[in-house]
Amino acid sequence: MPLSVLLPLVGVGIIGIAVMLHVLGLSRAAQLPDEVAAKAAWLREFPDATPTRVILSHDHHAALIETDDGPGVVWAMGADTTARALSGARIRRTAKGLRIDLPDFTAPHIHLRLDPDEAAHWPTYMKDSA
Amino acid sequence: MSDMITFPDVVNWAVPFFIAAILAELLWIVIKGRGGRYETRDALTSLLMGAGNVASGIVLGFVAYGFFMALWAITPLDLGTSFWTIALCFVLDDLRYYWVHRFGHRIRWVWASHVNHHSSQHYNLTTALRQTWTGTFTFMMVMRAPLILLGFHPGMVLFVGGLNLIYQFWIHTEAITRLPRWFEAVMNTPSHHRVHHGRNPRYLDCNYAGVFIIWDKLFGTFVPELDSEKVDYGLVHNLGTFNPLRVAFHEWVGIYRDATQPGLGWRERLNYCVMPPGWSHDGSRSTSLDIKARYVSQYPDSAGSPGLPYTEIKGQNTRP
Repeated sequence: MPLSVLLPLVGVGIIGIAVMLHVLGLSRAAQLPDEVAAKAAWLREFPDATPTRVILSHDHHAALIETDDGPGVVWAMGADTTARALSGARIRRTAKGLRIDLPDFTAPHIHLRLDPDEAAHWPTYMKDSA
Repeated sequence: MSDMITFPDVVNWAVPFFIAAILAELLWIVIKGRGGRYETRDALTSLLMGAGNVASGIVLGFVAYGFFMALWAITPLDLGTSFWTIALCFVLDDLRYYWVHRFGHRIRWVWASHVNHHSSQHYNLTTALRQTWTGTFTFMMVMRAPLILLGFHPGMVLFVGGLNLIYQFWIHTEAITRLPRWFEAVMNTPSHHRVHHGRNPRYLDCNYAGVFIIWDKLFGTFVPELDSEKVDYGLVHNLGTFNPLRVAFHEWVGIYRDATQPGLGWRERLNYCVMPPGWSHDGSRSTSLDIKARYVSQYPDSAGSPGLPYTEIKGQNTRP
């Protein structure tokens, strides 16, 4: 197939599918209904690091996890979740919550949308348990 | 010798079919409310990985093609272009695919290229297009060398490889549950390939087949999809980014960081490149065999069931 046909076809196809998915409401971020779900999401990534405490964000899109090995966070990755331990993390306030920078090429920046109270308190928990 | 033979670039010609099939699967899922899941950013990343794969083929394809043509120039054999030659080439190339794919899961250097295909937590037709940008750097092109030296024209070898890839597109779906038993027995199917994309301990590193599942049955790597254990898609440690550049290169970066850390001997540095994913010089990480063994130690009743070892032996992780 000539590139003059292939390139527009690929471009229009990608944009069209992405727009259609968004219009169909398939861009919603995953929700963690309760602490049990947040714990399960953490254990899915770190089966050997049992949570000792789970703090769910008010919007249920993230959770702060405390373990004997240190703190971690679970957050929505599209319709699913992932998790990271917070060793080596740099945490700072943003207008919408917190930004966590990790020395991890696969999760370099985690943007958490948090209430002002949460954004004020979570860094304390993260440092206290680190 | 048939130097001027040309075969169609079937993968590029299949692009309209790919788009139409994705739309059909999406509509099926939305209308029926079952048969899989889609999410915008995940699908967009998969599609961009597919586009990047085509682009990398255009930019770097000359490396493999030059290598193949050099082999073609030195081989005294020419099997021609009859239908049966193409059919035989297709079957032998599928065997080649099985081993490349198996190496892709058991040799970290090759996994660094292949990992992106497994990096989605979804399993739909866009996942099929989440293809590597860095395949040239694995040097797995050498696995096609025997076919060319046996007298299969390089164009034919690439042609049947394209057909193989197109076949594998439609099996990346949850919309099809099981197919007739005779078909499941011989062919790679959505059910078999769902297992391959699983991160459940029992489903790790199995079902490497491209078209014919018989290779897995022959070489002892077949694991059936169990109704009692739903497949959990993705990586053992799922990514925290949708950025295609990070998806494409993250394992290469990981290899670089591991192999260049201070205090290692040359053998340990080499092992970070060629041992199975999860290998570490101090045993602080887990390979798939370690994960399976730990699972069996936690759930002894599962020992010996499909995809799991009979015992809890740890560290037997060097088999390709």
